[in-house]
Amino acid sequence: MLAYALRTLIKMVITLFAIVTLVFFATRLSGNPIDFVLGDGITREDRELLTTYYGLDGSVWTQYLRYLAAFVDGQFGLSFLERRPVADVVAERLWPTAQLILSATAFTLLVSIPLGILAALKRKSWVGSAVMTVAFLGLAVPNFVLATLLVLVFAYLLNWLPIVGNGTPAHFIMPTIALSGLLIAALTRFTRNAMLDVLSQDYMRTARAKGLKERRVILKHGLGNASITLLSVIGLQVAGLAAAGSVVIESIFAWPGIGQLLVRSAILRDYPVLQFGVLTVAIAVIVINAVIDIAYAYADPRIRLAKG
Amino acid sequence: MLRLLASTALISAALAGSALSAEITVGAANVSSYLDPGRDHSNVGSQFYYNSFDTLIGRNHDTTKTEWVPALATSWKLIDDTTMELKLRDGVKFHNGAAMTADDVVFSLNRMFQADFPPYQVRARDRFSNFAGAEKVDDLTIRVKAKRAEPLWETLLNLQQVMIIPAAYTMSLAGDPAKLEHDDFEAFSLKPVGTGPYKVSEFVPGQTIVWERFADFWGDKAPLDKVTVKHMPETASRITALKTGEADIVTNIAPDQLDMIDKDPDMKAFGAPTALFHVMIMNQNHPKLKDARIRQALSLAIDRDALNEALWLGKAVVPASHTMEEFGELYMPELKTFEYNPEKAKELLKEAGYDGSEITFDTAAGYYTNGLLSTQAIMEMWAEVGVKGKINVGDKWTGNSPDLMVRNWSNPMYFADPFGSFGVMWAPGGPSQSEGRFNTDDAYAAAWEKFRFSGDVELRRAAYAELMDRVKADPALLPLYRPYEAWAMKNAVNWQTKPGHIPYVLDFRAGSISFN
Amino acid sequence: MTDHAIAASGRNQPRRLPFPLPRLDFAVTFWREANGVQRVAMILALVLLVTALAAPLIAPFDPNAQSLMSRLRPPVGFERAKLAYLLGTDELGRDVLSRCLYGLRLTFLLALCGAVIGLAIGFVLGMFSGLADGAIDDFIMGLVDAQIAIPFTLVALLLLAVFGSGLDVMILVLGLYGWEQYTRIVRGEVRKLKQMPFIEAARAAGASPWRIARRHILPNIVSPLVVQFTLSFSNIVLLESTLSFLGLGVQPPTATLGSMVGIGRDYLPTAPWIVLAPAAVILLLTFAVQILGDWLRDRADVRLRSR
Repeated sequence: MLAYALRTLIKMVITLFAIVTLVFFATRLSGNPIDFVLGDGITREDRELLTTYYGLDGSVWTQYLRYLAAFVDGQFGLSFLERRPVADVVAERLWPTAQLILSATAFTLLVSIPLGILAALKRKSWVGSAVMTVAFLGLAVPNFVLATLLVLVFAYLLNWLPIVGNGTPAHFIMPTIALSGLLIAALTRFTRNAMLDVLSQDYMRTARAKGLKERRVILKHGLGNASITLLSVIGLQVAGLAAAGSVVIESIFAWPGIGQLLVRSAILRDYPVLQFGVLTVAIAVIVINAVIDIAYAYADPRIRLAKG
Repeated sequence: MLRLLASTALISAALAGSALSAEITVGAANVSSYLDPGRDHSNVGSQFYYNSFDTLIGRNHDTTKTEWVPALATSWKLIDDTTMELKLRDGVKFHNGAAMTADDVVFSLNRMFQADFPPYQVRARDRFSNFAGAEKVDDLTIRVKAKRAEPLWETLLNLQQVMIIPAAYTMSLAGDPAKLEHDDFEAFSLKPVGTGPYKVSEFVPGQTIVWERFADFWGDKAPLDKVTVKHMPETASRITALKTGEADIVTNIAPDQLDMIDKDPDMKAFGAPTALFHVMIMNQNHPKLKDARIRQALSLAIDRDALNEALWLGKAVVPASHTMEEFGELYMPELKTFEYNPEKAKELLKEAGYDGSEITFDTAAGYYTNGLLSTQAIMEMWAEVGVKGKINVGDKWTGNSPDLMVRNWSNPMYFADPFGSFGVMWAPGGPSQSEGRFNTDDAYAAAWEKFRFSGDVELRRAAYAELMDRVKADPALLPLYRPYEAWAMKNAVNWQTKPGHIPYVLDFRAGSISFN
Repeated sequence: MTDHAIAASGRNQPRRLPFPLPRLDFAVTFWREANGVQRVAMILALVLLVTALAAPLIAPFDPNAQSLMSRLRPPVGFERAKLAYLLGTDELGRDVLSRCLYGLRLTFLLALCGAVIGLAIGFVLGMFSGLADGAIDDFIMGLVDAQIAIPFTLVALLLLAVFGSGLDVMILVLGLYGWEQYTRIVRGEVRKLKQMPFIEAARAAGASPWRIARRHILPNIVSPLVVQFTLSFSNIVLLESTLSFLGLGVQPPTATLGSMVGIGRDYLPTAPWIVLAPAAVILLLTFAVQILGDWLRDRADVRLRSR
């Protein structure tokens, strides 16, 4: 068991090292960041002066070795743009992104699980098909389109909701909905299918035969069993959500999160921030995946037994 | 759901109402990623320094006429051709409580005049190269030494880059508190301290700046208790922020949006042509553009008035030369350096034997208002005269690349003189030449010399006219227009930019803002 | 099949063509199995595809032709509209309808190129990984792990920022999407098949690895690859519009649907049609491709399970 854990850990470190290296060389291919960070209106001599000052002189290899040496010392560098340690820059952005993702995940669960159960129970009536049609349609709405439409209606036309930043609870409404749209559609369908699977199992029939109330049957036995599969899906969706969706949503709503930071750093070539930010995201994804694995193993007695 | 939405709207409306007393929120399209008036000369940064920092010599900002007024120096006089003596104001305090001394002033000036910190060296070279240094005479007197007779003393001592900062505080920020290190300046740019009417009480780079009234300010006290500047990158979002109560004033409103503000009874806009040119630059040394006639044609093909009418609703100013009213005695509207003449453009292209090859035009996506739009329109205008243009969008500065053909840029008025606008970028040996896209010769340098250092205004004017003739004959740039910049605000707020400022200054000092 | 074969075909015999016929019976089966929503999606996909192909024929204007005097005209039926511009004009007086049509065309093209490249990369790596053992396999699977650990939107963003945006870079970036899925599928199948007796028999008979791959392995993995391809195509459509929306896609003045929404956002309160028209097309397109992709996957799942 210990050996297994150690091997996993080593593999993780190698993956992270590969990512750091890939990002380093990819960014260095695109020329001198001085031309992005400081921009225009400096003489050639001054450009060289600043190149040295910002530690961008020497060959790519020298820079790489210098970067690794500092990295080992726990020095991740100063942001080119903000002139402060990158760890500060990135740390400030983690919580807003986490908040957004948590709020979208909670909203997704609150909406889609009841809807999915409803669709499963009423699968023969119009209610079920209505829910499923909406879920189908929801799959087709890219979140930037949803966000744009929400902004048009609730901010520009009605002036009901604020759209810039994360200052108040009201600021959460539109980004949360925009980020959840696709997920709700997906998770509703998933819940429905999982429920249908469970409802047709023998133990459900047994439970009903024992004279238990329908609601209790569904909640205790049905949902309890469906939750195993749900958990794994939700976990994966969270990781996906963290990445894809939030980059766009944060840009639209000027949300001070890590997605927006990475977009800016990539465009303006703030390499130290970019390197540290990508690394942070990668670690987060890896850790989340590990947690999912553990949770999944814990939730599913068959896996628990097999591994134990 | 609806009830929830409605109630949040009510809450935000209520908050907005109370916020107007003496606290305002500004929604800014761009917020600085550091705050150091010495290092910065960007259009983003210029918004923020005037509220927190002072210069030695001040200026009456209510007029474009040049009127110098005492600021941290109460009087100044020339001792000889190259030495100015300034008497300092007594009893000035920095935001950290320390009293301003001659040592602070000498420190602040010499951080630029005798720069050692690379970012300062860069700023010093393009505008302060004539200054040898500053020295203390006594506790309230200092002297500034120039290398040669300087016609622009007051102008240059009024620059943002020589705003006064505290010496001891700065040195204490990093490393050894008694020594001045580069990291001290880096740290200062995150925790700026000055003598102005507002102190920076919170600063999140790129996101938020909070100013609070500085009670010990030497002049008229600040009219606002607190100003919060928030980053609101999208135009439409900024306008909506006025409606949802997220902001009281917002910056950078494009002309296309003004109509919406005019129609809304709750808000109003204020705008004016900015003291800045959006320019198109052309690489004199690119193989395809070596022939001056091709560059002349690229310039003559552009109907700048049409751009102004269509994209700026006629509110921008299209100049006949690189000149603006703010230059005072050096304003020369009679010069006809740039014009629209598509027929002549076609002729010149034919004469020069233009082979129909592609001419790339680099532009940043969102940096200049209407930048991408005007570039696309220019492509059409070029097509009219037979030039095949191609747009290349990117945030990289390509002005130093030998592959550069044409790109857009801005030439701000860093200070109210042609030297502070045309001169900073197009001096012999300056950035444009050094980057390899602009050539000067002895004649150009001689004209420049007369223009820069002559004490006689008429001589300076004649020399500037000569420079403009050179630009016309062998063009490396075309000023497109002075963009029209507008700010929008709630009806209850009375605020405008003052004409005597450099572009974009958000001036909230006494007398600049009031409420209905 | 030769000319002779065609000549030989008699009147009463079914005509034989020198190329495989579109499998009509296949389409009919699909149609029968589909539910209402899926049928709508099928029709929609067909209509959009035809529209995209025919864009140069049906677009009323050159999508990049400007008319500065007719900027920001609303669609027909609103005040200030000009009859020629059915869906109005954009901030440079270009016809929104024409730009939508050409944008749709480009989106299709990009997604197709991207999906094909991704398949090719993933397939080759998967084959290598599956056939080779040890270091090569470890290296490739390491790449797969690294790819999974960095969200693809981020990778795409970095690449576009680093190599500059443009049609070629965009195709490359979209081509990198989903390669790790193909690699995993192919590798898994190859590993499974390698153990099978008939492969070992072929190897014993002296067949080259290439021949084994072509004759024995390929036919067995076509089905999961087709499903993955469809899914990948629909996700690439989404990805392309998202990247273009962020301003990282194709260079102006060329329009894609995403970039029209992205650039038009500043005009959302004053001239919403600039955004709404391409947004509607995106909705229809993603609706069609997502539903079809999803459905194909479900079908395949059922078949795999029943096997």
